[in-house]
Amino acid sequence: MTRAEFLARIRGEMGKTRGLFEASPPTRPARPRERLDLLRRELSERWRENIDRFTREFERVGGVLHQVREAREVPEAIARIAGERQLTSVVAWDGDALGLDVAEPLAARGLTTSTAPGVEASAGEREQRRALAAAADLGVTGVDLAIAETGTLVVVSGAGRPRSASLLPACHVAVFGREALVESLLQAGLALEAWHEGAPPDWRGASINFITGPSRTADIELTLTRGVHGPKEVHAVFVEQGLAVARRV
Amino acid sequence: MSEVAPVTPLRERAGQALKDTFLQEALTIATTKFIGLRREAFDEFPEGEALRDQARAIKEATLQRLDHWLEMLIDSIERRGGHVHYATSAEDARRIVLDIAKRTDARMAVKSKSMATEEIHLNEALEAAGVTPVETDLGEYIIQLAHERPSHIIAPAIHKTKGQVAELFARELGRETPPDPEVLTRIARDELREKFLRADLGITGANFAVAETGTVVLVTNEGNGRMVTSLPRVHVAVMGVEKVVPSMTDLAVFLAILAKSATGQKLSVYTSLVNGPRRGGELEGPEEFHLVLLDNGRIRQIAGPLREALSCLRCGACLNVCPVYRQIGGHAYGYTYPGPIGILLTAMLNGPESVKDLAHASSLCGACADACPVRIDIPRMLVELRKEVDERRIAPWPERFVFGALGWLLQRPALYRLTAPLGRLFQRPFVRGGAIRRLPPFLGQWTRTRDLPPVAARTFQERWADLEREGRR
Repeated sequence: MTRAEFLARIRGEMGKTRGLFEASPPTRPARPRERLDLLRRELSERWRENIDRFTREFERVGGVLHQVREAREVPEAIARIAGERQLTSVVAWDGDALGLDVAEPLAARGLTTSTAPGVEASAGEREQRRALAAAADLGVTGVDLAIAETGTLVVVSGAGRPRSASLLPACHVAVFGREALVESLLQAGLALEAWHEGAPPDWRGASINFITGPSRTADIELTLTRGVHGPKEVHAVFVEQGLAVARRV
Repeated sequence: MSEVAPVTPLRERAGQALKDTFLQEALTIATTKFIGLRREAFDEFPEGEALRDQARAIKEATLQRLDHWLEMLIDSIERRGGHVHYATSAEDARRIVLDIAKRTDARMAVKSKSMATEEIHLNEALEAAGVTPVETDLGEYIIQLAHERPSHIIAPAIHKTKGQVAELFARELGRETPPDPEVLTRIARDELREKFLRADLGITGANFAVAETGTVVLVTNEGNGRMVTSLPRVHVAVMGVEKVVPSMTDLAVFLAILAKSATGQKLSVYTSLVNGPRRGGELEGPEEFHLVLLDNGRIRQIAGPLREALSCLRCGACLNVCPVYRQIGGHAYGYTYPGPIGILLTAMLNGPESVKDLAHASSLCGACADACPVRIDIPRMLVELRKEVDERRIAPWPERFVFGALGWLLQRPALYRLTAPLGRLFQRPFVRGGAIRRLPPFLGQWTRTRDLPPVAARTFQERWADLEREGRR
């Protein structure tokens, strides 16, 4: 069936409905980008309350939060997580997407680290990179929004932001600064509106993921089990002073 | 008429379920737990009630301009380089997916849990065409290995014990293991990880699709939805037309109530927003993205008696609270969608003939309508279905005869008044301790599982007449 025929059938049935009450769905923000900027300025005053709430909710869903003062302390935090679990190989987002370069400092701490290229790679290289991610023990990503209400990390894919870094390794470490914090899911809805206003930048990918804790299932006798397909552990490294992410969504 | 009617009658299917002691225990534990988790989630979330109203309003407003929003969705997806297909029937949908599989030379398909692909019985068709379908949700994987069907919308294998799963894994995968959910889950992770990396085709349903942005939204806890939409070279999503929502603002409202209603989580672990095929610069993502828009009986309900059921989010909350589902479980319903909403969806997909017995598998207590995140009035539609079943003369003849006679009688007050003394006379041999406990064979079905209240010593009408007489005096 063609598009025209399919839609015509729908219109035909719609024409038969009578006397429907007009429904009033929520109103959408007229200029979401401006509204989001305004919201971010408001939220910057309340980041301490929000990181407290985020931490509470994140821990409730099985996440572990590590707090540091500034960006240069991040590699040490990651190395500590890896060291305690005897993990040796790392895949990470590139510096522009993460807000800091982790490859060198992690390598200096004995971790085999590969960072994703920030530009289009050949099919062969993509295949290699995927195998690398599948074999890695630990994935390091940035965070585009951290939702306090639910303890959720929102991660946008793209160049230098591989999806697999938060999916294939058994341990995921997400790094974010106070500028990523929002309070509620509805505020995240505003961010989604803003991100989709106009054409996306070249480097933006096709996948946005809301991650709320480690992968889990309760499919066998409702027994909660972690790490069924995605990571078994999710850590967040929170940078109080914030991060200077060059390619910000 | 897409699904095959079950061979054994509902009464027997229900009887078997009631005798299955493990199933009884599993159902009680699972549904009680889900009910408690849901209640806690909403208790902690005072905004929830208003958001439920908003969610319903969005569904209704979208339905009122469904053509407009679908057109916008199609345009948005095509602008991102995706393809949209149109399936009127289950058969159309299967053919579309098979054509894509054939054209892309696919040998293996990994699937994330999807009721839409269950509804069109896609797995059998894929297998017949030489494409191996692999269910990757742990519960679905288990029932696929066991060659069974899901028994709950969101927890498909709740009818199985860990012991049964361990035996199944030993038999089907050749891996001997203790009956420990932790170990069993790890085995499934190993087995399926390798398949994710090797599969050609990723097949999903869709919880929502955002018209304005062309975004398909998947909600999972395990992460299989992310694997399936990121690793294989082709992604096909199969979605009922009613799943479209206008904007991201609307989506946020649904996300705020969906997981709370389903599992009591504030959000499921992964909510994945898929904006078409891989974009330049990305390391992962499918080269092709297809959306199959599925009618399969939905479109004619836009102006039909089951219109409200088009708002369903497939959260499963109404199953957990239903006194019938809690007793007989999902398989006894006999079709893809179980529970109170399942009866309506079965009628939508397969016509009212398919629910001539199921329409009565409800006490009309209203618990489902209370639990429904978008407040669908399920009992009202069940009553309407019963009426339709009767009018179309597809109900069993004794039932039609009794209701017909009753209807005739109720329209004749003089005659009706005579029935009280007659009833008192004829019921005399059957009344034991103030109730009729057993009726003779022809009417015996009624009293097989419940008592019938006898005609009162003085009926209301008789007492009213007495009172009027006294008043005049």
